[in-house]
Amino acid sequence: MSIRTKVFLYGVLLVLCVPFVFPTWWMITSSFKPNAEIFSPSLWPSSWSFEPWRQVFTMQPFAQQYFNSAYIAVVVTLGTLVVASMAGYAFARIRFRGQNVLFLLVLTGLLIPSEVTIVPLFRIFNSLGLVDTHWPLILVPMLGPPSVLATFIMRQFFITLPGELEEAARMDGLGRPAIFRRIALPLARPALGAVAIFTFLHSWNLYLEPVVYISTRTKYTLPQALTQFTDAYQGQLWNVQLSAASMTAIPVLIVFVLAQRQFIEGLAHTGLKG
Amino acid sequence: MRKTISIAATVALLGALTACGGGEAESSGPVTLRMTTWSANPDHVKLFDAIAADYKTTHPDVTVQFDALPFESYTTTVTTQIAGGNAPDIAWILEGAAPDFVASGALTPLDESIDDAADLAPTATALWKQDGKLMAYPFSTSPFGVFVNTDLVKKAGQKLPAGDEWTWDNAAKVAAATASKTGKQGLVVRDFDYKDWTNLATVFRGWGAEAWTADGKTCGFDQQPMIDAMTFLHKAIFTDKALPAPGVAADFFAGESAMTIAQISRASLLKEDGFGWALVPLPAGPSGGYSVIGQGGIGVLKKGKNASAAQEFVKFFTSPANSEKLAQFFPPPRKSQLNADTLAKANPLLKPEQLQDVVIDGIENGVVKPSHAGSAEINQAVRSGLDPLWKPDADVAGVLKGVCAAINPLLAK
Amino acid sequence: MTDVLDRTASPVRSAPGRRPFWTTRRRDQLTAYAFITPALLGALAFVFLPLVLVVWYSLHEWNVLADTFNFVGAENYRKLADDPNVPAVLRATAFFSIGLVVLNLALALLLAVLLNQKLRGTTFFRVLFFSPVVVSLLAWTIVWGFLLQDNGGLNGLLDAIGIDGPNWLRSGGTAMASVVIVQVFKNVGLNMVLFLAALQGVPQELYEAARTDGAGPWTIFRRITLPLISPTILLTSIITVVGSLQVFAQISVLTQGGPGTSTTVLVYYLYQQAFQFHAFGYGATLSVVLFLIVLALTVLQWQMRKRWVFHEH
Repeated sequence: MSIRTKVFLYGVLLVLCVPFVFPTWWMITSSFKPNAEIFSPSLWPSSWSFEPWRQVFTMQPFAQQYFNSAYIAVVVTLGTLVVASMAGYAFARIRFRGQNVLFLLVLTGLLIPSEVTIVPLFRIFNSLGLVDTHWPLILVPMLGPPSVLATFIMRQFFITLPGELEEAARMDGLGRPAIFRRIALPLARPALGAVAIFTFLHSWNLYLEPVVYISTRTKYTLPQALTQFTDAYQGQLWNVQLSAASMTAIPVLIVFVLAQRQFIEGLAHTGLKG
Repeated sequence: MRKTISIAATVALLGALTACGGGEAESSGPVTLRMTTWSANPDHVKLFDAIAADYKTTHPDVTVQFDALPFESYTTTVTTQIAGGNAPDIAWILEGAAPDFVASGALTPLDESIDDAADLAPTATALWKQDGKLMAYPFSTSPFGVFVNTDLVKKAGQKLPAGDEWTWDNAAKVAAATASKTGKQGLVVRDFDYKDWTNLATVFRGWGAEAWTADGKTCGFDQQPMIDAMTFLHKAIFTDKALPAPGVAADFFAGESAMTIAQISRASLLKEDGFGWALVPLPAGPSGGYSVIGQGGIGVLKKGKNASAAQEFVKFFTSPANSEKLAQFFPPPRKSQLNADTLAKANPLLKPEQLQDVVIDGIENGVVKPSHAGSAEINQAVRSGLDPLWKPDADVAGVLKGVCAAINPLLAK
Repeated sequence: MTDVLDRTASPVRSAPGRRPFWTTRRRDQLTAYAFITPALLGALAFVFLPLVLVVWYSLHEWNVLADTFNFVGAENYRKLADDPNVPAVLRATAFFSIGLVVLNLALALLLAVLLNQKLRGTTFFRVLFFSPVVVSLLAWTIVWGFLLQDNGGLNGLLDAIGIDGPNWLRSGGTAMASVVIVQVFKNVGLNMVLFLAALQGVPQELYEAARTDGAGPWTIFRRITLPLISPTILLTSIITVVGSLQVFAQISVLTQGGPGTSTTVLVYYLYQQAFQFHAFGYGATLSVVLFLIVLALTVLQWQMRKRWVFHEH
């Protein structure tokens, strides 16, 4: 590659990354600005104030809310991995009666926006006495529409596994569950990684559901808590809000930075190719 | 296997369906009341918790839980909870949603539950009554006034018109001059932001204009007073630049504009070491002086699980003694407390004459911001109908005619 | 879960008998049903049951506040046909979805191709492009709301180079485009990563062979790269189309459906009807419509996959 092409490519990349980076940069730096300075598009606070970051914790049980979001996301992610890899494997590698119909049935879940079903679901959970608990936020993503996407990804992955591997395992006397657990699942690590990231982010960012289901402050999740930093008259305390938003984004960003190599290269090696 | 699945599904379906229709029995013993509010402000929460704790000393069985919902989606969330069968026991109600809540029969009448109901100012309760019964208590009755950044106005070499000179024309002139000389904004109609048009009532009432007639049946947007008022507003925005243009954000309380129209309760947003400021009544329009109030009500939902316990608590929450405590954040509807002395204690930031001019006179003579049954849909229609007005070359009369065309079918419902 | 299955399966396997009832095929089938049971039960409880209820609601006039729930038959569907807002809403929905899918996939592919070059520092850029995905949607949208104001950051930037930028979120022409673009920047990183993985899975030998045959870069891209990554394109386009029909928070923060009704997409409209205007029955009717649209589009894409997706069996 010539130097000129390289310079050109770097130029394109640099220009392209502005709209991706600037908002996050602005979010983090503005969280240190005094509230009066928020509306200015300046790149750097005129004076640094750590007060908003402290206020986040005094105005809300933010640590508790952080824990809520984290544990819910982890439980949902683990649960989804189990449910989706099993279902994905069965749909991809075992032939059984009603396979296609049942797959389409499950796939329908992919098509349901949460606004569509929130009212009936709310009534169902209410009749079970589970409103204002974390159960709806765990069960629905783990078993409902969001996990369907995971099942779909897993199925698409398992389809690409060479059949000889399973044949060989079968010769060694392994049954299906064992083949799944000892052969297919270890090979599926990259796809599981992708599913884990999708699922975690989905749960982490869930907004409508917690607002509808949860009403006790100590049970709030982060996106819900983010909207609660207001002054006495519902004026938004932008700097406090942005501090809280930064705190929700930074750890995930760090984890991604650390794990992105495994994530992306893992995907590339085995290929999420359909 | 498939049979099992279909049986499980049927059971689940039946369970859910029967659960929808089930009624709850009134429970005795320990009771937890849930009250939805739109304030997560720590000072407010502290006061509410104190009142609830106070109540517990005489009613040890009753715990009150304040459930602060995001303001933006407040009514929506409450409605969803009601739809889902999890209605709060007590709810704050925004003035815009008042006619829907009051007329729907969703609320329990409160006449029995208000101490000294004769003390309530009639202008304050008008919106909350149905067939003479008080359906919700207007715990916050907050008049609109004009806050002025006197430092900014002085810096621009302008003087704030007083007395008879305090008219819309002069206010717009000062605002435009201050904006052009200081590079800040002139007059901000707070929370309007070219979306929540009901806040414009603080302007168009000066021309005697109304969004619809008092019976709610006839559209007022295409009437002459409204055309005059909107023509004035359009010129002030696009020609004189006295008001920020659409999409321009400016916060008065951060020192970004010369004046703002806001409810007086917003005074607490002013910092003690901030800029110099004044609070004056709304300027006089061609039809003379006027005032506008915004309200919040508190109601007991029939569908709540503990309606009678909830009524008891509302009685306590709105009692004269607690009303006085609440007055530091929410101007009370009680005439006996609408005097400069009581209010001054609760609002140390405001001077007695400001309280008299803006608050006391305001509540006694004020009209409440426009509201109507089905207001959310009507507001939406008006908002999108008014959108073409916010362009420099708009045809004011034509746009307003369009607004009426859009909302007439809704008003007739 | 798998342990449990193992244990239940093993005694069956060791059961004596010359012609065992439990043939491999039967055992496989049983395993398959066991494996899909959680997903299936989830689909029934959290997809089909609510869906049936939504259809049931759509046959009712249901005002939550007034506490009315009356069977009205097809009344809501007649209302739908007469609703003057519906054509505009459908137009806005189509505009948003098409705009989003086209821009998102094109940009994702462009970024993936750029990052697939042999350049130093691509890892760094990869992280930057992906970073919005992990930022909270609410925060992202609010920040963009600031930037797109008439006196906001973007117009300040344009001003500096002598362009008088439009009032992005307030004029009919640019409001929808702005919402689309904000959403593209938010999520394009996800598709980019998937494309990148697919690109890196294309065997280098194929490229070399094509080059020796004298194929230009564009021909290579069209003839080799695109077909080989077509399964990923299918996956990402399905995810993006379905996601685009569920856009909500962005509209509600940035434009609230305006100006006029130019950004009122179907989800937002049904949310307005059900939750803001208290017309749950009519809202449910719109939900049914939305569901049917998504269903039709997905079936269409799935059918078309045979036409253009390489090595889909």
